[in-house]
Amino acid sequence: MKRLTHIWFIALKDLKLFATDRGALFFFILFPFLFITLFTFMDIGATEDTRLQLHMVSQEAEGGLSYQIIDALESAGDWEIIVMDYDEAYQAVEDKEISGFVAFPADFTEGIMTGAGTELEVVTDAEATSRRAALYGLSQTIASRVGAQYVIANATIELLIEQGIIAPDDSAAIEQVIQPILAGQGGGEAFIEYRTEKVGEVEEESASNWVIPGYLVMFVFFGAAVGAETIVRERQNHTLERLLASSVRQEAILGGIFTGTAAKGLIQILLFWVVGILAFNLDLGPSPAAGIILSILTVIMSAAFAVMLATLVKTQRSAGSIAVLASLVLAPLGGCWWPLFILPQWMQALAKITPHGWATTGFNKLMLFGADFGAVVPEMLALVGFAVLFSAIAVWRFRTSAVE
Amino acid sequence: MAEEFLVAKELHKSFNEHKAVDGVSFTIHKGENFGLLGPNGAGKTTTIRMLSTVLKPDSGDVTVAGHSVKHDSDAVRDIIGFCPQELALYEELSALDNMVFFGRMVGLDGKEAKAQAMKHLEMMGLANRAKGKIAKFSGGMKRRINLAIALMGDPELLFLDEPTVGIDPQSRNNIYETIEGLQAKGMTILYTTHYMEEANRLCDRVAIIDGGKIIALDTPHNLKSQIGPPDKVTLEDVFLKLTGRSLRD
Repeated sequence: MKRLTHIWFIALKDLKLFATDRGALFFFILFPFLFITLFTFMDIGATEDTRLQLHMVSQEAEGGLSYQIIDALESAGDWEIIVMDYDEAYQAVEDKEISGFVAFPADFTEGIMTGAGTELEVVTDAEATSRRAALYGLSQTIASRVGAQYVIANATIELLIEQGIIAPDDSAAIEQVIQPILAGQGGGEAFIEYRTEKVGEVEEESASNWVIPGYLVMFVFFGAAVGAETIVRERQNHTLERLLASSVRQEAILGGIFTGTAAKGLIQILLFWVVGILAFNLDLGPSPAAGIILSILTVIMSAAFAVMLATLVKTQRSAGSIAVLASLVLAPLGGCWWPLFILPQWMQALAKITPHGWATTGFNKLMLFGADFGAVVPEMLALVGFAVLFSAIAVWRFRTSAVE
Repeated sequence: MAEEFLVAKELHKSFNEHKAVDGVSFTIHKGENFGLLGPNGAGKTTTIRMLSTVLKPDSGDVTVAGHSVKHDSDAVRDIIGFCPQELALYEELSALDNMVFFGRMVGLDGKEAKAQAMKHLEMMGLANRAKGKIAKFSGGMKRRINLAIALMGDPELLFLDEPTVGIDPQSRNNIYETIEGLQAKGMTILYTTHYMEEANRLCDRVAIIDGGKIIALDTPHNLKSQIGPPDKVTLEDVFLKLTGRSLRD
């Protein structure tokens, strides 16, 4: 009980000191929100057309069957079809400007008309697995429907020849019959059909759903890490020495310092969520409890890092420099500045060595992909692991570094 | 003979290759004001840090009221007060907030901490500045607050590490009077200083330490009589004779 009282009063003292420091308040509270506001609005402005973009290439001459297929897709209105030149599209995939396209070969119509067959080409970025699956699906649909129309056309021609309506060597007449069938204008089914079922209003994904968690992780960690300076100052101005000679036990001193740092992080994170929900329409996903636990674990991990850093460095200046450096290196690596899932595999793997990577992955799962509590348990455990590691180092170092 | 309150036995402490304290032994009796004198780097602060449980000795031991600093340091901390050489204060907090905070740290409840804080501030002549920020205080005022904090919880043994460094004569005199008042109430004090007149005025016995070893230990009168008539020589003469006149770092 006595230890808990000591922990509480040390933490309270740290919060009092924090409240008297206007510069710290600006960097902890206002500065992060300026960042978030700026980046949220920048991102929202970039996504005006919310339809799925489909890049297509036809290497045929104008008027070929491929153009009719593209027109049919476009007229459905659900997709934004962008027709490109083959080389231009290929380069765009290489440059990662687009994730893939479907290309009709130059002999597409001829291959179908003559029955020799033809091939659709799907070109995608190797890492864009979902886009590749979608384009394969589309190509297969086109191929199977064209195949079915071809069977109908052949049967029709054979029947017409058998009945003597057209001559077998009258290619002009045959073409006149086959074209409307292949183009879906023979009075039968449309070439490609769409059926849309509305199961509620589709809401545009808010950029704040990944911007805010990313910056939250970055600024909570940054705020805590910079707080290591305050802990070092406590050692340098000998108040720590005074505490060590009082009735306070070492673990209570460490606990108090940790609690004070974590309390600042909790205030910060509470403001993030409240302002995020009220001002940026933030969606916590189907499991808000998981989001709250993940937030608290992020704060605990960051506070443990701050205490560890304070026990590892000798001066305030080095504490500040390392805190800034660690924050600026770990934030982009850990997906605070951009979603990890858009990055190459090797960068996603690298993110796993950072606590930020686990935290942002957890938030993205919850807030972008609608995952439930169970899906983010690995991320929670990873943050607990980092917190335990940092705390163990802090406890070990505190015994030898407490006195100047 | 008064009871032995603090017993230091063969204390050793090294930092890397440097022997800061090398076999220091002495005893402080209950109610005594014991002075530890020595030039810069002599080992005074390291000794006081070991006595107050802040540093662990490499070898040797200290007992305070029968409790070992090595094996029962929690019990030792419960009965000591410590005033470090540096101003160990939270500059952005008020004098009262500083005192109440450290009062809570020595186990006082809120009401008691506030009452003791006001009592000690009164004693230091700073009651009217209780709510003033430490950052706005003069050096002398800060020194007095530094000492007042060490008195929170009414410790039985008080460690004062150069409590009058760099302050005005009025503040210094206030500190002298406070210490004399504490002595009169029977508090045991270990006092380190550079000022010989302070030691002469306040201390019952004095140990002179140099190179991490105690080179003399006696009453100021007896130490002076070792080199001449006590009314003709000063403690500073004794100190310079024993420690030499060469400059220290």
